[in-house]
Amino acid sequence: MVLGLLAFWLVSAPRPLPASAVPAHTANAANGQLLYNAGGCKSCHKPNPDVAGLDSSLPSGGAPFKTPIGTLYPPNLTPDIETGIGAWSDIEFVNAVQRGISKDSQHLIPAFPYTSYARMPVADVLDIRAYLMSLPPVASPKRDAGVPLAFILRRGLGLWKWISLDTTAWMPDTTQSEGWNRGSYLVNGPGHCGECHTPRNLFMASDTSRFLMGGPHPEGVGKVPSLHKLIESKRYKDAADLVLAFQNGESFGYEHMSAGGMGQVQSNLAKLPQGDLEAIAYYLTSFK
Amino acid sequence: MLSSKLLKSLTAGVLVVGLGVTLAYAAADDQIKARQTEMKANGKAMGALAAIMKGEAPYDAAVVKASLDAMAAADAAAGEAKAWDASSMEGATIETWAKPEIWAEGSQVGAKYQAWVDARTALAATTDEAGFKAAFPALGASCGGCHEMYRKPKG
Ligand code: HEC
Ligand code: HEC
Ligand code: HEC
Repeated sequence: MVLGLLAFWLVSAPRPLPASAVPAHTANAANGQLLYNAGGCKSCHKPNPDVAGLDSSLPSGGAPFKTPIGTLYPPNLTPDIETGIGAWSDIEFVNAVQRGISKDSQHLIPAFPYTSYARMPVADVLDIRAYLMSLPPVASPKRDAGVPLAFILRRGLGLWKWISLDTTAWMPDTTQSEGWNRGSYLVNGPGHCGECHTPRNLFMASDTSRFLMGGPHPEGVGKVPSLHKLIESKRYKDAADLVLAFQNGESFGYEHMSAGGMGQVQSNLAKLPQGDLEAIAYYLTSFK
Repeated sequence: MLSSKLLKSLTAGVLVVGLGVTLAYAAADDQIKARQTEMKANGKAMGALAAIMKGEAPYDAAVVKASLDAMAAADAAAGEAKAWDASSMEGATIETWAKPEIWAEGSQVGAKYQAWVDARTALAATTDEAGFKAAFPALGASCGGCHEMYRKPKG
């Protein structure tokens, strides 16, 4: 029993990256903005349009996330010193986004898709931070705590992370073209498409043997479609048709771009440059 | 021992209740089917309009009118069949992709529906290809606006 507790304690401990993991890097806020859009950060971190006095185009803290174990608040990502990320260091930001560890060394809930963001090069994450730091600071209002997450639950997440968090960085496939690799990076890294489109195994980790093959929605309502055979199944004429779908969604009559969170994803994807959307479409339609 | 009269009335009671339940099932199932028939008609009409938008088919005012008429007819038929009544979710035996939030406190489904009606009216008022292409995205967005909140993804 004591041994068990000790093992739990050791295994569930946060494993942050050391400060030395931050490379010498001249931050590129434009690249950061692109990755912020690809990553859909705003979808979760923006206030609902009905919150009085807050600009819902800025990520000043998102609508509450109700989970069976408590209510979560996606925090303020604007550079406000008190309530935002204004006073965070590079490594604190990187550890939150890529290891799911908060500034005060607690585990963050994987509703925040750091499991995918973990695959990004650290330099790209620093670019996102540079973009966020360029936004106007917004002081977010205090929110009622809801059901606080018990310390032990957060700590227990460490066990899940130990089993399920794969921190292997994304690597290009040298047998494939540059466009295919760009698509692969955007889908597997910032885009976190697999968080919904890849079904989960017994440990609630992505089942890599069914990569992007669709399944039950992770939030429990409805089914997420497979991203294989998108053309063979006649849902899209060709890769160019899929690009048009990403750019316009249901406003051009594409029927499977709205429900279950995909509407938000699509509106973020629509902000990416044409070339990046072509790369994503090329990559996805290469699955046979 | 139960008297035979009591037994008979009990049996009758069970039958009546059973029949009532069966009828409720059938009613809800028919309402769901009507809703899905309405939406399938919308999907079909949308296909013809989107083809014009994407340049896969030439602009044809007659196709635009026929498609919008089909949507209006589907809308009316669904109304008649009570396809959007809360009762459609009670005792159904077939699968529906409508979210129960449609009928919950604070639902915005009425506004979503109105946006669709308004977009249809605006598109019907267009008379040429340029007008059509300017007005069409709002129609598609009105479908998406409701689906985003009130339709479960079907996979
Ligand atoms: C699907 C929703 C979702 C998306 C997308 C998302 N986040 Fe979050 N994020 C959350 C939630 C929920 C939390 C709070 C988790 C918790 O309390 O355990 C969070 C927490 C954070 C934190 C930790 C803050 C703290 O106080 O410890 C940072 C930093 C962050 N997110 C940055 C980002 C960035 C950058 C992106 C885009 C690259 C992003 N998030 C995308 C939902 C999301
Ligand atoms: C929050 C969960 C979620 C995320 C993240 C997500 N998707 Fe989706 N996606 C869905 C759902 C649900 C649908 C079905 C929507 C509908 O039927 O209206 C869908 C539909 C799609 C479709 C249409 C499939 C078809 O059969 O027509 C494509 C293509 C797609 N997603 C690509 C992506 C890409 C690329 C990404 C990453 C950049 C992504 N998705 C991220 C949930 C998600
Ligand atoms: C007011 C809300 C609302 C509006 C507006 C709306 N829909 Fe729907 N749609 C739904 C709901 C809810 C469902 C799921 C119905 C069910 O399964 O009971 C659905 C289902 C569908 C389906 C799947 C039908 C099936 O059973 O296979 C299609 C196709 C569809 N809608 C197309 C459209 C199109 C095209 C438009 C716009 C021209 C549109 N819808 C407008 C709410 C809406």
